[in-house]
Amino acid sequence: MNISVLLKQVPDTTAKISISNGKVDEDSVSKWSMSPYDEYALEAGLQLKEATGGNLIAITCGPERTKKMLTDAAAVGADTLVHIPIEGVKDNTHVQKLLAAAVERFDSSVILCGKQAADTNGGSTGPGVAELIGAACVTLVSEVNFSDGKFTTIRPSNSGIEKVMVDGLSVFAFDKGSSELRRPNVRGIMMAKKKPIESISSDDLGVALDSSSLIINSQSPPPEKPAGQKFEGAEHVGEVVLKLRNEANVI
Amino acid sequence: MRIMAYEALDFYDVDSLLTEEERMVRDMVRDWVDEEVIPKIEIACREGVFPDEWRVALGEMGVLGAPLKGYDCPGLSYTAYGVICRELERGDSGLRSFASVQGSLAMYPIWDFGSEEQKNKYLPKMASGDWIGCFGLTEPDYGSNPGDMITKAEDMGDHYLLNGAKMWITNGTIAELAIVWAKLDGVIRGFIVEKNDPGFSAPEMKGKHSLKASVTSELVFQDCKIPKDRILPGVKGLRGPFSCLNNARYGISWGALGSAQACFDSAKDYAMSRIQFDHPIASYQLVQNKLSWMLREITKGQLLAYHLGQKKDSGDWIPEHISLAKMNNVDIALEIARVARDIHGANGILDEYPIMRHMANLESVKTYEGTHDIHNLILGRYITGIQAFTRGA
Repeated sequence: MNISVLLKQVPDTTAKISISNGKVDEDSVSKWSMSPYDEYALEAGLQLKEATGGNLIAITCGPERTKKMLTDAAAVGADTLVHIPIEGVKDNTHVQKLLAAAVERFDSSVILCGKQAADTNGGSTGPGVAELIGAACVTLVSEVNFSDGKFTTIRPSNSGIEKVMVDGLSVFAFDKGSSELRRPNVRGIMMAKKKPIESISSDDLGVALDSSSLIINSQSPPPEKPAGQKFEGAEHVGEVVLKLRNEANVI
Repeated sequence: MRIMAYEALDFYDVDSLLTEEERMVRDMVRDWVDEEVIPKIEIACREGVFPDEWRVALGEMGVLGAPLKGYDCPGLSYTAYGVICRELERGDSGLRSFASVQGSLAMYPIWDFGSEEQKNKYLPKMASGDWIGCFGLTEPDYGSNPGDMITKAEDMGDHYLLNGAKMWITNGTIAELAIVWAKLDGVIRGFIVEKNDPGFSAPEMKGKHSLKASVTSELVFQDCKIPKDRILPGVKGLRGPFSCLNNARYGISWGALGSAQACFDSAKDYAMSRIQFDHPIASYQLVQNKLSWMLREITKGQLLAYHLGQKKDSGDWIPEHISLAKMNNVDIALEIARVARDIHGANGILDEYPIMRHMANLESVKTYEGTHDIHNLILGRYITGIQAFTRGA
């Protein structure tokens, strides 16, 4: 079984994001990492691979720097590494087309990805790819198992959790998973370093990235937090309790 | 979701000189230390134990005996080994000591001086962390002067008989095997002693104020009988133990920087948030002077360690290079810990902060694996050609 995992490299949660001329300045990002929900998708993909003896294909589109993330994926067990080189694409539909073409090219039976990326929080990749390849799509998945030709997934429902069973071509978009993420080890790292990364251009994939109707007008940092309020002395207790109850809504 | 990744002080971008593989190994060990060591180290110290799960994790990560090749050993560069030591010691010197002893002092002599049978028997299980090793050189009365050791081995025809005692042995009580240096017909030789050999015991030394999360033991040999195939065939004399110590000392020159960085990080954060006279103490010149001195010494130490790593990897090194780096980097780390304690004021003595623990650990690191003074004498001999270890002939 070919298991494709779609990965996105995002600014690390510790990296400072700076804005210049109304746009996020990517050159100022000191550290890039795999998007956290994608890490859970990768872990679930590795477990499926181990259970089925399948082949795990890690796919990303992005600039040259994203190759490092593929090597990281190989260090924990990805078998095939696929890089679709693109620069500066912001339109989600373009990314979906490229990824959909890649998963079809690798004859994938199941596709896993994060429910949303930690930078743009778009949340459209999983459903978008599923739509393009005609696959079933289950979102907010925390666990997936395979037996008797069917995938069983766990996802939240409005009254708890629900089990969703799917057969045939499927896309699973992961929330925080129930499994602990595995660590690489030295052996994995040394093998990963030797693993080739296959570069497939949009032309090779037969995807024309023509005009986009999406225009990002400007990006801005979140508003600064208003200054806190300070109360000293026991006489303020009543007032503080009221504020905590009515304004902060914490008690 | 992983804990926020640690961003190390690296003013001159020295880590950008590492290979991608070395950086991946660094990140693997760094994340593990953040997630599994730092949250548990203070309890381990209070209880005076080395958590067994750390042994298992080091084996699973595959970092034990890092630069050794073959026999299921990692086969990394010496630079990578140094980086691993640095990341471990940012957690605790006791943890790094565990890895130094296992890799450089127990696995290395088997790898370099052992028979093919010995290598096949011991190295794979030691690389996986299943078997822990220790190293017996120092004796109660012979520390800086190991050449005059008393422990002796006798050839009894079909076995060797060991008699004597070793002291200050890291991992001794938890070890499956000990590399023991003893005199056979007056010549220092290495022997592999297994924990169940008759006449061998390894009582733990209690009451340490330093390296509390590390096991320190005595090794006692009373007519300890070991088979003939347990002698290390490949080396005679002090060259054996000194070869091991060179590698361990090299690792320490990196490791001490990890402690220094942990102390710097804590001191910087504390100085930024501690308000006195209406302003953070980081805004005062005396505190800034201390922080900038720390940055200066850590940066110099990083360049020293990296360059020594390159020399180790190319084979173009002499033991004096290692003496200088071990001596310098431990010295500055200890002084940084002390200055960090000063910046923390009274809070610096609490185990809420890592300062006092690193400081107490580094007091040991300064005098183990060749004391600071002995390394000075090694360099003094290198400069002048005159040995000053002993008085006259």
